[in-house]
Amino acid sequence: MRIFPTLVLLLLIAWPVSAPAAHHLVDEVGRPVTVPLSPKRIIALAPNVTEILFGLGLDQEIVGVSIHCNFPEKAKTRTRVGSYISLDFEKIVSLKPDLIIGTGAGNTKDMVDRLEKLGFSTYIIFPKNFDGILTSVRHLGQVVAREKEGLVTVRSMESRRQRVINLTRNLTRPRVFMQIGEAPIVTVGRGSFADDLISLAGGENVAAREERMYPRWGMEEVLNRLPEVILVSSMNPKGNYEKVVQEWSRWKMIPAVQHGRIHLMDSDLIDRPSPRIVEGLEEMARLFHPERFK
Amino acid sequence: MKLVTPKKVILISALLTLLLLGVILLAVTLGSVRVPFRLSIQILIQSIMGGNVSGSDTEQAIILSLRFPRAILAGLVGAGLSISGAVFQALLRNPLADPYILGVSSGAAVGAIAALLLGLSTASLGLPLVSFLGALITVLLVLTFGRQDGKIHPNTLLLAGVIIGSFLSAIIMFFISISQREELRTIIFWLMGDFSLANPQTLLTVFPYVLGGCVVVYLQARYLNVILFGEENALQLGVNVERLRLICYLFASLITAASVSVCGLIGFVGLIVPHGSRLIFGPDHRLLIPASGLIGASFLIASDTLARILLAPVELPVGVITAAFGGPFFIYLLRTRKTMKVL
Repeated sequence: MRIFPTLVLLLLIAWPVSAPAAHHLVDEVGRPVTVPLSPKRIIALAPNVTEILFGLGLDQEIVGVSIHCNFPEKAKTRTRVGSYISLDFEKIVSLKPDLIIGTGAGNTKDMVDRLEKLGFSTYIIFPKNFDGILTSVRHLGQVVAREKEGLVTVRSMESRRQRVINLTRNLTRPRVFMQIGEAPIVTVGRGSFADDLISLAGGENVAAREERMYPRWGMEEVLNRLPEVILVSSMNPKGNYEKVVQEWSRWKMIPAVQHGRIHLMDSDLIDRPSPRIVEGLEEMARLFHPERFK
Repeated sequence: MKLVTPKKVILISALLTLLLLGVILLAVTLGSVRVPFRLSIQILIQSIMGGNVSGSDTEQAIILSLRFPRAILAGLVGAGLSISGAVFQALLRNPLADPYILGVSSGAAVGAIAALLLGLSTASLGLPLVSFLGALITVLLVLTFGRQDGKIHPNTLLLAGVIIGSFLSAIIMFFISISQREELRTIIFWLMGDFSLANPQTLLTVFPYVLGGCVVVYLQARYLNVILFGEENALQLGVNVERLRLICYLFASLITAASVSVCGLIGFVGLIVPHGSRLIFGPDHRLLIPASGLIGASFLIASDTLARILLAPVELPVGVITAAFGGPFFIYLLRTRKTMKVL
């Protein structure tokens, strides 16, 4: 049986590394994951993961981030391991991570399977609304052994949200049109983060009944809904806000145009499921109800 | 080849013009927002006549600032692409030829995407202009490489166009792979062809190119008929084949460049409308060119109207509709006519 030693060797190589210093978890997409008790080399595959991890105080541990990770400033100094759609597996292997954290919204199942096959413990978060972000922060706190820090973030987000809800309670909700694409006109439907934020901030999303998350609307539908506030997401960093406002100014019958209530919002604060989304929420509430936020 | 009489040309053109007017009226009355049929027509006619216009501000804006200019733009582009397709099919003597076959569309796409990545908005004149320039440079490049001994040979021109087009596609793919998510959406809609990207003001800027190009091309109709019988024949009949090819190539390309630069790459129209018209009305270019133009205009306006109302209030790119309806209809024409007279 000359093959036997080879088999043993193969098994040894393929066996999960050091079982005792790890705990077994189930991630947010239902995959069982074995995570080291205190991970030392972490790779974040999405901008919101990076923000959450830096928020938990893991400056030393984060060794790799995606090319989309632009916040906090420190994130830009870490090794880039590719984009949502294409990961640089060689770079990931070379960084020798003991934990990789991705997101169900950006990373595909194929990618995660491949990372798993390469032997990396990979935890996926998948927040779908404001509450989901709170859950993900709490989960990541447990995963990286920073539970206390996670809870601090969650509490502060909860109380800031409560303040917004209290201040805007019983106020008339302005009709809000959120524009996330300049051409074609794309807005936010049910189930998107921005839709959740608009209603939390005391507004009424005119496209709330759309079942697509990011429906593409014709202009006549916008005219028909007569929005009182238009929010323009800074989807394109090179986009020209003045230009967009000027385009809208042609449609004088829209109340938002008559009253100059067209506002630019940082898209990272409204469609990135990170703790900073609460800043987006507060800004929206200020824009919807300026009289309450003097 | 059976030649047509001027009377027949005028009669058929008049009938097709009526059809076109009907389609425009339909396009103006249909949309995601319900404006009553009679009111829509009233608003349109009153504003053309001048004087008081009925309806609310919103209804007037929907009819006069959105639907009507868009229908006219769609008609112009539909006519332009169809006529240009008819000319390319004759010029290259190839049934697969369409306005995009010589790479003009890829040149326009490279220009448009580059403009987008540089941050020029689709609504401003910047993007159509850069796109138009991209297309024109491509036209001249193809002409330079596609000519042998200073002469245009259809097959050499075709090869040069296809190769330059493929090369430009590589640039397009490169741009797509380095672009951000948000830019990607605009790029993809542009590549599928979409009228919502066009600003009504751009209508006035493409109008002269498309219309002028169509007139110049139509003036060559008689000579295009002659070269269908072969170059030898044409030379014997005193047609300056070289000059004819150059004019047809340049002006058909100009029409295409102006069309795609404002609304992206709308597929199928320039291929199936000339073929369809040829199957119905025969190959005489004196009838084929106006018929293709009028049918193409009606077809594209109708397709765009469907794109606006099928999933309203969500809009579809018009390219989806032209391919979905044009393909099967073309197959039907082929099957019922049995033989396909290409030229």
